[in-house]
Amino acid sequence: MLPADCSSRLVAELRDALDSCAQRQRQLERSLRISRRLLRAWEPAKTPVPEPTPGPETDEEVPSSACSPSPQDLKELELLTQVLEKAVRVRKGISKAGGDKAPTVKSESTATSPATRASTRLRASDWTGSHASETKPPRGIRQTRVPAKDLSEHRLVSVEDPACIGRGARAAKLEPSRRSQETVPLAAPQAREVFTLKDKGILLQLPVAFRKAASQNSRLWAQLSSTHTSDSGDAATTAKNHFLQKMQTTSGWPSSRLSPAEVEAEVGRLQKACSLLRLRMGEELTADPKDWMQEYRCLLTLEGLQALAGQCLHRLQELRTAVVEQQLEPWPEGRLPRASSPCGGGADTIRSPPLLLYSSTQELQTLAALRLRVAMLNQQIHLEKVLMAELLPLVREQEPLGPPWLALCRAVHSLLCEGGERFLTILREDEPAD
Amino acid sequence: MGRRRRRRVDPADAARALPEAIAVLTRTLPTGPSPETFRRAKFDRPEAAPALWRLLFCVLSPMPADGASPSLALEAQARSVKAALRFQGYPRRALAQLPDDGSQGGRELLLALAWLLARGPTLEQLLAQSRVRLGDEMPVCEIHSYTRGCHSDRSLGHLSVTETELLRDPEGGQQLLQRLERENVRLEAALEWRRRELVFWQWMDTVLGACPPEASQPTFLPKIPAQGAAELELVVRELQALQEELQGVAETRWAAWEARVGGHGPEWSASRRALQEAVRQDLVALQWAWERGGGLAQPHGPHRLVRTEAGAPEGRGLQATEVIEVLRSREACLEVVLGQLQGQCRQELARLVGTLPGLIWIPPPGR
Repeated sequence: MLPADCSSRLVAELRDALDSCAQRQRQLERSLRISRRLLRAWEPAKTPVPEPTPGPETDEEVPSSACSPSPQDLKELELLTQVLEKAVRVRKGISKAGGDKAPTVKSESTATSPATRASTRLRASDWTGSHASETKPPRGIRQTRVPAKDLSEHRLVSVEDPACIGRGARAAKLEPSRRSQETVPLAAPQAREVFTLKDKGILLQLPVAFRKAASQNSRLWAQLSSTHTSDSGDAATTAKNHFLQKMQTTSGWPSSRLSPAEVEAEVGRLQKACSLLRLRMGEELTADPKDWMQEYRCLLTLEGLQALAGQCLHRLQELRTAVVEQQLEPWPEGRLPRASSPCGGGADTIRSPPLLLYSSTQELQTLAALRLRVAMLNQQIHLEKVLMAELLPLVREQEPLGPPWLALCRAVHSLLCEGGERFLTILREDEPAD
Repeated sequence: MGRRRRRRVDPADAARALPEAIAVLTRTLPTGPSPETFRRAKFDRPEAAPALWRLLFCVLSPMPADGASPSLALEAQARSVKAALRFQGYPRRALAQLPDDGSQGGRELLLALAWLLARGPTLEQLLAQSRVRLGDEMPVCEIHSYTRGCHSDRSLGHLSVTETELLRDPEGGQQLLQRLERENVRLEAALEWRRRELVFWQWMDTVLGACPPEASQPTFLPKIPAQGAAELELVVRELQALQEELQGVAETRWAAWEARVGGHGPEWSASRRALQEAVRQDLVALQWAWERGGGLAQPHGPHRLVRTEAGAPEGRGLQATEVIEVLRSREACLEVVLGQLQGQCRQELARLVGTLPGLIWIPPPGR
């Protein structure tokens, strides 16, 4: 039905579209995987537990030796104590209910008992606490066997100052140890120290090396985007312009020449203009003016829209002439694939990525759905344009004889007008059979 | 006290300035060739060519997000580079005439690189494209809530998935750290480049001078019919259709309005002027929307998602509600565009087939 080169171009386009969808899907799946893994109980780190030497700050897993508690330590200690108290309350609640700590998968692997954790700290021995089954529904977390209590310690505590809580906990020994006594009778035979984000997430801290690199990173980006002019800057700018001009003059092309990139960019802007104008026209037409002033305003707006449309049209015609005159190839074949969302102009992307603040899950959902919808529409429009450019000429050029052409028309109609979802029916009035 | 060396440029310093500037430049580039390559390129030595072709390919193609692009052969890269430069409007024909196998053209490629650097914030854009992303762009709610309060940067308040992941997996965390540190090196080099680049541009002048002059009447490249020209035509037709509609709609209403609004008092012309001004400003704002490239350059761009309490003080960044509004209007706009295109097709097809007798076209059941 289609000539070979046309069909291969179309197939390539459609394949690109499918690929980008697949890529998006992969990204989403990857993101989901990572997030799910983070929300489950964390596996112990693969690196072997290092010896507890007071190493440099960048060494994540090393607990420092005990030292006197700092205000921060005490603060974290307090936090820990609160958590412990809560655990005690919960456990009391459960033991009252006579709940047997049946070692179901769920109950054993649910969020670690802070009591367990802390108590293994407080008492150097191989303390085993049972888990306070959280009253919240278990999350189907896998069991993890954590051999050494030290591992989860390191995980939990600030990796920068690893013994922060450790120190705090040791300092807790100084405190009346009634709390530790109250923590709980054992039930399960083995310590399961499992870290979950849900319970201990707020205690995390990023490593110092990372924080340094990250803050240096933002500082450098800020500098890069701010220092645009300076003494050497001006001289360099002049030198650059001189160079560019010389390039232009030695090339023999007239300097007013438009590049295909510029033409494409401008056509894109004018396309956007057209949509915005049309959208605005729609708004004005659906509005219902109540008095002569509103009507006047409405009419003025429509007039203004018409003038703007005229300006855009004029500009397009200029571009068209330029393209023809310069014998430009607006979109040369085989050019490098563009990123799907072009980088916004120079300065915008250079600044530290601005924050996007949200306050509810609902907002996130809406945001995600809309982004997807916009991306989909962009893709659909692109494909529509490609198909139009390829298929309409074919329909025009072919002689309208016979079924092949009809079939083509039907297919083209479906693709271009109905998004490929519906087909029209063609009835032919044949001469009577006899 | 001491000698004041700044008075006179020490010739040794001047001699070092160029190689140092080039060294800084190569540090900022993603696959920086050695400074020696640059020097060879000035003299058009063939061994400089492949590295420069590859560098230009890297500069001109956007980094794939996943980083999993199959690396092309040198010849394919060379062809891509040529096409991309032609697309950008590179003025010199000599580049198009270089052999595709990537074996020659050091000097011309050096000129092309300099041309790209001179025209725009190329280095900064390159860095921005491959920027290490520490924040989340995908919506991930729970991890944000669970790590509230831990971030050392108060304005962020909680960890991102990337950051949390680095805590869970120290090995992966090491890799992230290394990427960050490498980026920092490039950023520092980019800043230093700004201080040193003058001598490079003076040198490029000499490189250009070393080239043989091009013929003044360039041969025109054959015009390849391409999709872009069709796109231009499409927009022309859309705008023409829009113009006609606007005209039709307004005419009758103007007449009716003129008839109804009778005698005009002095307060009438004052109101009229006020309305005219208001509409004018309205339309200027509208025009700005497409000329400037839209308000939020990229609401789905590299924004870092941060959870806050509702009603938190503004000014820290974009609010999700604003972005949602923008996206909704963009959605509406795009739906209009799509509908229009489909309408155009319908008309065109109807026109093409309408002339044929003996056929009944039954459109599909309406939506």
